[in-house]
Amino acid sequence: MDIGAIWSTLILDPMINSLMWIYSGLAQNFGLAIIVFTVLVRVITYPLTASQMKSTQGMQEMQKSKKWQDIQKKYKGEKEKLAQEQMKLYKEMGVSPFGSCLPTIIQFPVIIGLYQAIIRALAVTPIQLLELTRHLYPFYSAALLIPLNQYFLWLDLSVPEKDYGIMIAGFAIPILAILVMGTTFLQSRLMTPPSTGGEQGANMGRAMTLYMPLFMGYLAYSFPSGLALYFVTSNLVGILQYGLLGKLDWRNLLPSRKSSNEKSKIKKKQT
Amino acid sequence: MKSKQFILILAITIIAVALSACAGGATQASSWPGLTVDEQYAYVAYNTQVYAVDLVNGTEKWRYPGEPDNNITFYSDPSLSEDGQLIVGGYDGVLYSLAADTGQMTGGNWPFSEAEGRYIASALVVEETIFAPAADDNLYALDLDSNLQWTFSSEGESWAQPVTDNECECLYLSSMEHTVYAIDPVSGSQIWQSPTLGGSVVGTPAVSEEGVLYVGTFGGKLFALDAKDGSILWEFTTEGWIWSGPALDDGVLYFGDLDGYFYAVDAQSGTQNWRLTPEQLDGEIVGSPLVLGQDIYVPSQDGNLYKLDTSGKIIWTQTIGGSLFTSPKSANNLILVAPVQTDELLVALNEDGVKQWSFIPAD
Repeated sequence: MDIGAIWSTLILDPMINSLMWIYSGLAQNFGLAIIVFTVLVRVITYPLTASQMKSTQGMQEMQKSKKWQDIQKKYKGEKEKLAQEQMKLYKEMGVSPFGSCLPTIIQFPVIIGLYQAIIRALAVTPIQLLELTRHLYPFYSAALLIPLNQYFLWLDLSVPEKDYGIMIAGFAIPILAILVMGTTFLQSRLMTPPSTGGEQGANMGRAMTLYMPLFMGYLAYSFPSGLALYFVTSNLVGILQYGLLGKLDWRNLLPSRKSSNEKSKIKKKQT
Repeated sequence: MKSKQFILILAITIIAVALSACAGGATQASSWPGLTVDEQYAYVAYNTQVYAVDLVNGTEKWRYPGEPDNNITFYSDPSLSEDGQLIVGGYDGVLYSLAADTGQMTGGNWPFSEAEGRYIASALVVEETIFAPAADDNLYALDLDSNLQWTFSSEGESWAQPVTDNECECLYLSSMEHTVYAIDPVSGSQIWQSPTLGGSVVGTPAVSEEGVLYVGTFGGKLFALDAKDGSILWEFTTEGWIWSGPALDDGVLYFGDLDGYFYAVDAQSGTQNWRLTPEQLDGEIVGSPLVLGQDIYVPSQDGNLYKLDTSGKIIWTQTIGGSLFTSPKSANNLILVAPVQTDELLVALNEDGVKQWSFIPAD
């Protein structure tokens, strides 16, 4: 079995058929199917999200701790030793340094699989339609559903918004891309605690908060709108999940907010 | 913290590359070649260009456009008019009229740009009128100078060339929305719409002289419809979904399905004469078979062309390579097949299955 077949069996086929099955139960509205599917994916991957949150919080606490600050002072200039002590402290505090990245990385196959599933399910060309027929499970009447209704609100889910958006002066206004950028920005601001990694860390954090929405907006503008709908829904569900856990920090939306660590450093400098 | 951000940036890069790879380049094929023949040339529409290939030796006579434009792609079978136009629809939503002998758009040739969707189906040319279904759910009727005569709006896209019935003087249009329309070719008004057929009708229907229309569907059924009112006369259940329309010859319908079965069904009664299984013909059957007298040529996804006789016996199997989705055509005692996923764009065989020549477009 080659990697393509494994990918199809484990990721793509279940996604395509889930989407189509949900579509059949939702008045054949593919936009609603994407929204419901996204919510389901976020619910299923919730343990990963929770673990990510826990790890991030643990790392924040560790970096704020007096012990870590003492270690930093003690091994200043001894990079290798500092790293060893850091790992020891991670262990001591029960924090996995990769715990906050791994769940994010695990979600990437979901995004790529969903993108492929949307493109394949909407099948607007003969090759895509033929390909779709090879991925369908026999337990439901997929023939009755094809072709899928690709329209939702003002969106054509099979086409990038740049090709059909509301045109002003020859330029398609990317409403959905703007929504993607807005919700991505909101999510990263609300869910990312202020940096405690010094000036460099803060700069990188700010850069990520700025570039990530731009990157997601670019994807939303360039790829079929179905994917952009997934991004918006996923962002909103993510914010809601964090909100329900009481982890949202609305003060992060204020532009001048700095961590207590940074504040104390600034104070020291001033004195 | 640094390693976390590095991983994040790396992951973003990976996802961007992965999504770009999924989207593919602008020239990635969206379909398989369209193929039409006259006595001298085969016309192949594939990806960014349309080619005229000499039937004698397989050399290229012309190509259009001379330089490929990634925004213009062609996949439907080109159609020839009596006045020497080659009509071919593009995925850019433009119907092109080219001079069949030169491949140029000069003099009386034109582009027709009113459609808002791509042309997946071939246009049908009947005397002085061109009937061109586009993927904007409209069927456009033009005269040979591209003047729009009428537009018929249906409930869904049509991916198949319309077919006409001289006796009834009707035009039949199959629809992805599980139905077939009969249309007055002069006024463009609807005569009837068939009941829902339980699946998309992707292929061109076959029409009998007795006034019966035969359509295969994604619902795994072949229907016989009364050409007068679209009512269902009989239905035949298949193992898999049917992509192309059947070939009708001497009262027998020949067609395949996507599970790899190939059927011969009596056109009068809808009963099965015989069938071949995927163990005998390996691969999906997408294109319509070519029937020449007692010989039936069946293209298969596995890259083989099968020659059968009318009793269902396999006479020979010729491996072409790639996949064969385009219906074979015949001209000058040659059987022409247009494979995909291989370098050869057109392969000519004689009736014994011996390759005569192949055409590979020069870069």
